[in-house]
Amino acid sequence: MRDYIRLAGILFFVCAIAAAALGFTNSATYDRIQEQQVIASAEAKKAVLPDAEEFENLDEAALTEIKSNTKYNYITEIYVAKAAGNVIGYAIQVAPKGYGGEVEVVVGITNDGNIQGIKVGNNSETPGLGKKAATADFQDQYVGATWESPIDVIKNATPKGNEIAAISGATITSRAVTDGVNQALEAARELSGK
Amino acid sequence: MENSRFLVSSSPHIRSGETTQRIMLDVIIALMPALFAGAFYFGFRALTLTATAVVFAVVTEVVMQKILKKPVTVSDLSAVVTGILIAFNVPVTLPLWLVAIGSIFAIAIAKQCFGGLGFNFINPALAARAMLLASWPVRMTGWVKPGADAVSTATPLGILNVGEAAGQALPGLWDMFIGNIGGCIGETSALALLIGGAYLLYRKVINLRTPVSYIATVAVLAFFFGGFDSTVMVYHILAGGLFLGAIFMATDYSTSPMTPKGQIIFGIGCGFLTSVIRFYGGYPEGVSYSILIMNVATPLIDKYTMPRKFGEVKKNA
Amino acid sequence: MNLWKDFSNGLLKENPTFRLVLGTCPTLAITTAVFNGIGMGIAATAVLVGSNLIISLIKKVVPNEVRIPIYVIVIATFTTIVQMVIKAYSPALDKSLGLYIPLIVVNCIIIARAEAFAAKNPVINSIMDGLGMGLGFTVAITIISAVREVLGAGTFFGMQLFGANFEPALIMILPPGGFLVFGLSIAAFNKIMSLRKV
Repeated sequence: MRDYIRLAGILFFVCAIAAAALGFTNSATYDRIQEQQVIASAEAKKAVLPDAEEFENLDEAALTEIKSNTKYNYITEIYVAKAAGNVIGYAIQVAPKGYGGEVEVVVGITNDGNIQGIKVGNNSETPGLGKKAATADFQDQYVGATWESPIDVIKNATPKGNEIAAISGATITSRAVTDGVNQALEAARELSGK
Repeated sequence: MENSRFLVSSSPHIRSGETTQRIMLDVIIALMPALFAGAFYFGFRALTLTATAVVFAVVTEVVMQKILKKPVTVSDLSAVVTGILIAFNVPVTLPLWLVAIGSIFAIAIAKQCFGGLGFNFINPALAARAMLLASWPVRMTGWVKPGADAVSTATPLGILNVGEAAGQALPGLWDMFIGNIGGCIGETSALALLIGGAYLLYRKVINLRTPVSYIATVAVLAFFFGGFDSTVMVYHILAGGLFLGAIFMATDYSTSPMTPKGQIIFGIGCGFLTSVIRFYGGYPEGVSYSILIMNVATPLIDKYTMPRKFGEVKKNA
Repeated sequence: MNLWKDFSNGLLKENPTFRLVLGTCPTLAITTAVFNGIGMGIAATAVLVGSNLIISLIKKVVPNEVRIPIYVIVIATFTTIVQMVIKAYSPALDKSLGLYIPLIVVNCIIIARAEAFAAKNPVINSIMDGLGMGLGFTVAITIISAVREVLGAGTFFGMQLFGANFEPALIMILPPGGFLVFGLSIAAFNKIMSLRKV
């Protein structure tokens, strides 16, 4: 019995010291970690809507209404972009299902329905193939597309108008990103009331 | 007293006169119709690719055996066979340096690193193909239609696997039989491969068990998975690398089971995996992966299909 | 003299990656880029030195029956501290290494050295052992990462090495490539070491 008390006591002591050390480190680094997360998330939004000065979360009610609509099943977050107090567009985060899992995409759409940019983020696509979706070459194809009609994915031809060329050997990934972007376009159109 | 008719020696006392070289030579001869078909449909480049693959395979074997301080055995022609099979598994548009890398990988890593002829645990040509496909997927799927101008196309399996190349028409059954379709150099002509297979059977290099059980299993499963449609079944038998794999690669001595029962199990296993990959997997073609997986399962199959030695008593009688 | 031997042991003679073949999980998983290799190496070394130091300090008061839980608590604490520091100062490394940072807790190198060395040796020697093993690990995985990154992506530490015509062998940055490079590296290491003896 004495033995168990001694063993338990030593374990308790060690845990207490470990906990203290962790608590100390946590408080020393917490603020910086939060900062980093905010910077990262703002970076992506700024990259797709460079003219925006600030981003606000879309109000709860509107967001829930959109997310409950099954045709927006890929949409995860919506941010309202403002400059000088006026709404200039929307940064919409989507997560369509690609080849190896969800592909995170942030789409920047202006008030009059133009895509200013998209940014492909976390994904598990194949390196050298689907992962190429995160390159500027692929993402730039979406710039200038409008919400007039859904964007189409084509292979082995030069894209025109609302078309983009699929990555050679990564059709599924290309289609997934396009599906996500199209949903974002539709949602932005609905939100802006046009 | 001396009687010179009593000779004392150890076994073997009867020799068959078969040498590795003779067997390999037979395989090379059996592959010639397919090589001819490949050159006929895809042009002279098919020959240069094959020659490159063979040269690099042979040179790699010499170099590896010298490095490993072993006797150089290239004269047994097994490296030549591997080289030809590697070339047969790639599209005719593949750059020469890639098929060279494939040969080097097949001989240096898949074969020599594991002990050389007879000790390799997987088919070296298929290992090379898997490595090339994983490393340069776009190059390895650059198939063209037979003929002078290199019009890119999808293979029949690619067309069947909707989502790959919707919109292209399936070639007719006769074209699939003689090889007038897109695909890798050696796999397209079922006719040429059958001629080669018949030769190998005649020379007793291979037996019917694995090829027949493999192809039959694919036929049956293609019938079921394809919606009980017999045309789909025939397409699947003639499409892709099935004949090439079933006749020339699933029958490789060191990577397939030794026992008769084992060989049938091997064939059925390959057939099952090929069909599942073709119908439900992410790839249009499943032959190379199925054979590789069954290669790895071969020691297990051999273990459980070993015939009982005469007089051996079963443990739990 | 002894201190140098304890340090240099982990570099060559008992290199944890090529000789002891410990910590193979991160070795195979994260060695797709030199940035990852160096980052993971430094993180693991920090945890290794910290845990060796503490465990050697408390070795006299740790009862034998509960030594493993105590070692794990110490290692986990250091790993969490390292993780927080990485999250705060290098989000890029945090993103690349991802799950493998907390997995440093179960990196066999650390618990093996704790049990085999720190529990039986003085503090300074344990620190030296931690540094040596950590450095040996870092150099080993950096070499593997360099091979895989150059051949599989055509870059070194993120910098493009070759022109647009270079077509990298994608398999190198995929798991099979990891096994291939790891195996061939062990073979090369053994060959070089056998030449040295003579």
